[in-house]
Amino acid sequence: MGFLAPWFLGGLFVIGLPVFLHLLQQHRSVPLPFSSLMFFEKRTQSSVKHRRLKYLLLFAMRVALIALLALAFANPFVNRAAAGGTDGRKFILIAVDNSFSMRADDHLNQAKQQAASVLSSFGGADVGQVITFDAQISQLTQPVNSAAELRTAVQSIKQGDGRSAYTTIAQYVKSLAQSTPRGVEVHIFSDMQNSSLPPAFAELSVPGNARYILHSVSSGNAEPNWFVESVNAPRSVYQAKKTRILAVVAGTNTEETVADVSMVLNGKTLETKKVKLAPNGRATVEFFLPDAAYGLNRGEIRIASHDKLPGDDHMYFSLDRKEPGRILFVHEGRQRWGAFYYRAALNSGADAGLNTDDVTVDQTSGLSPEKYSFVVLSDVGTIPATFEQALQRYVQGGGSVLIALGPVAAIHPRVPVFDAAITETRYSDRSGDRFQTAASVDAGHPALSRTNGFEGVKFYQTVKVDPGQARVLARLTDRTPLILEKKIGEGRALVFTSTFDNISNDLPLHASFVPFVEQSASYLSGIDQTAADFAVDSYVDLHSAKDQGAAVEVVDPDGKRPLSLREAASAQTLKLSREGFWELRRANGRHELLAVHADRRESDLTPVPKGTLELWENLGQGQQKTNGPNGAVEQKQPVSLWWYFVLALLIVSLAESLFGSRYLVVEKQAMVRKEAA
Amino acid sequence: MLQRFLDPSVLGSISGLELVARTVVDGFIAGMHRSPDFGFSQEFAEYRAYSEGDDLRHVDWNVYARTERAYLKRYRGETNTQITILLDVSASMKYGSQSVNKMDYARFLAAAICYMSNQQRDAAGIIVFDDEVKNYVQPSTRQGQLARLLHAIEKAEPGRRTNFEKPLLHCLQFLHRRGIIVLISDFYEDPEKVIKAVEPLRFHGNEVILFHILDPQELRPKLNDPVLVLDMETDDAMEVTPDYVRHEYGSKIDAHVSAMSDRAQRAGLDYYLLNTGRPLDDALREYLTIRQGRR
Repeated sequence: MGFLAPWFLGGLFVIGLPVFLHLLQQHRSVPLPFSSLMFFEKRTQSSVKHRRLKYLLLFAMRVALIALLALAFANPFVNRAAAGGTDGRKFILIAVDNSFSMRADDHLNQAKQQAASVLSSFGGADVGQVITFDAQISQLTQPVNSAAELRTAVQSIKQGDGRSAYTTIAQYVKSLAQSTPRGVEVHIFSDMQNSSLPPAFAELSVPGNARYILHSVSSGNAEPNWFVESVNAPRSVYQAKKTRILAVVAGTNTEETVADVSMVLNGKTLETKKVKLAPNGRATVEFFLPDAAYGLNRGEIRIASHDKLPGDDHMYFSLDRKEPGRILFVHEGRQRWGAFYYRAALNSGADAGLNTDDVTVDQTSGLSPEKYSFVVLSDVGTIPATFEQALQRYVQGGGSVLIALGPVAAIHPRVPVFDAAITETRYSDRSGDRFQTAASVDAGHPALSRTNGFEGVKFYQTVKVDPGQARVLARLTDRTPLILEKKIGEGRALVFTSTFDNISNDLPLHASFVPFVEQSASYLSGIDQTAADFAVDSYVDLHSAKDQGAAVEVVDPDGKRPLSLREAASAQTLKLSREGFWELRRANGRHELLAVHADRRESDLTPVPKGTLELWENLGQGQQKTNGPNGAVEQKQPVSLWWYFVLALLIVSLAESLFGSRYLVVEKQAMVRKEAA
Repeated sequence: MLQRFLDPSVLGSISGLELVARTVVDGFIAGMHRSPDFGFSQEFAEYRAYSEGDDLRHVDWNVYARTERAYLKRYRGETNTQITILLDVSASMKYGSQSVNKMDYARFLAAAICYMSNQQRDAAGIIVFDDEVKNYVQPSTRQGQLARLLHAIEKAEPGRRTNFEKPLLHCLQFLHRRGIIVLISDFYEDPEKVIKAVEPLRFHGNEVILFHILDPQELRPKLNDPVLVLDMETDDAMEVTPDYVRHEYGSKIDAHVSAMSDRAQRAGLDYYLLNTGRPLDDALREYLTIRQGRR
């Protein structure tokens, strides 16, 4: 028997408290009134003799209470032979690593062979289970005692593209060990990648009735490996110009070398470059893709290497060449500066994929906004009723509108489409300092994240709008709303309470103008500029709020449809479980090509150091090995007696309460008698 | 049956001293013949030769006509004695280990004596004292005397320390006529001193009776633990062990009682120890029986 927290035994000193209460405290000299001291003589009795323990039972209970409390905290345990250790009945867990790195040098097949050989010693009373692991656990069998079934499961293990993490297997073993009374033997068959170890080694610990047996399939040496680390390519291309593509190639455990790096588009190698790589270094390669074909293009960056893991010598990217979207820019006939600055900002940035159609208010009567990505109303006065109605229907149906308010719009009491009251117009003299600046800007909003808070922009004229239910994204120093957003039906509207020219403000002259125009345009048009490359085991959203229930067509890298019809209509997300190109045809008709690649941490083939492997094998809390009577190794595990002590503590505390209250009554009665006397 | 009610605790629960006294004395009378000392007052007692200074109203003129000698006719009533009760109300009298403390017991005793005297047309009076005279009711046979006495007894509350000399000296000033003096006290004083203080009363021809009231706990205290004993009169404290109480205290109090008794006997005083744990009428009866036998 031992204690897991022996320092709590110091609490036993508190036993002195009941001793004090019962032995010393009880000796209270309560004066006894008496007629006369005439016949008394002073006598002092020895301190030991007269200090008798009172209420022995209560005293004993109190001492027991404190002792049990201290012992419970000290967490006593006894060593008991492990469940699987004495009777030979074991739970054998075969855990095979099928992560991406196991593609190297036929490691997976070696692991399967080793697993099969371990199963040859599988006893009739044993129970076994076969699982594979990368970042997640896949159970290939339930716990069974059939060696043949386990062997079949081992043979059926397929290569995966995920990233291995040994923490997952430790967590699984923990839950397994708690649910089975047997001793658990965890056989791990893996290439023992150092990058798969958790940051804290303690995360690999398992209960006492489990122990690791590690089977490494790697040579134990740090194998050199070159790989394409990342590719930076735009998701969509709108113009017939060369597209810049950046790739990073790297090596681990490598010597200095010169490698051929190629760009391949739709199976055709377009360009090859020689790249010099430093030892264990990385290099950036720049390619310019000539005019790509319309539609979805499958691109790939390859590095020519002769290492043991060819799977990471390429990285996919997708490129969607399409026509740019159109923006309907509506302005008053005599105010063209706003359109000028807006168009200039839109064209000066990266390939935004949007062009503007400038129209005056008079020209809008017959226009349908449906064919535009979004509509800009730049300080317009009265717009034709038919166009306003069409615009409202457009926004209700999911379209977007950007409204800039200037002196013309301020004549009207309400903001068109946005339906908010204009309460006031403010003018400031340019010669003086009475201009406003932006005070609070929601930098987390996708339309404003790169505007740098409109720093230094002077707003001379602003139109004060009652925000009502609208969300205020930016305010001026006098708390006047500068940018407001409101969701209308399925669409949304942004209101800029100044203009895009440099009359009401000097925004077009500042660096924040172009990002504001670009980001607001992307936001309102719904163009997703994020790259379409994902790591294996990432998830993509299949349904948006608008197209719930509509089927999404998914095609995996093998050209098969991994989702059933029901799943295609109901699944919210899709797990990209394999490397390659995944095609998605969404409910709104949008066609996407997703490039999926293995996590590049798998490319580092540095194995776990030998010493660490030995430490890992010896993990298992409090596990002890002793020699049995017949010389055989007998495993012992500590069994905590904490619960028993707590139970006894409860019983004793209950009894103490009962007896204590009884004695209290006796004391009270005695006191009452004394007082009466 | 009546005896059951005469238990001190029962007496203590009876409100009104007159009722208590009547209960005690009626029970006592019912069980006893008339006492020669407390006879009926209208009964003829004796003739005595006239001497100078005697009241001529008491001369039996019939005898004078027949014998030409003047004789005074005396009735028992005229031989009635004057009873003065000296009630000690010192702080120590407050002690009691039972429902009735020594003070209450002394009150009952005093009330019983007063009631009995009243029944016998004896002139009873009372002096209440601790270290000085607290109250004095002159002995008398007037109407309402019993009520006055009982009121004085009722009002008597434990006071300070006992000092026999001063009140008894005072008592001597009041007592012009010989009679019976009943001293009720717990006598926590040196017997020598007590007797010395009381003796002068006897010299005047009074008959002195000492009723020594003690609680059972005072006679045989029971202690389980060492205890700090607090003197009720002086407030002095002393740690006392059960061992001492068990082995030495008893002999000391016995010696004290014995000394009191001896010294009283030698001084011609009547001494009687009253244990408050004992029924009052029972104790009185016993005392009177002894007293009768002594005469």
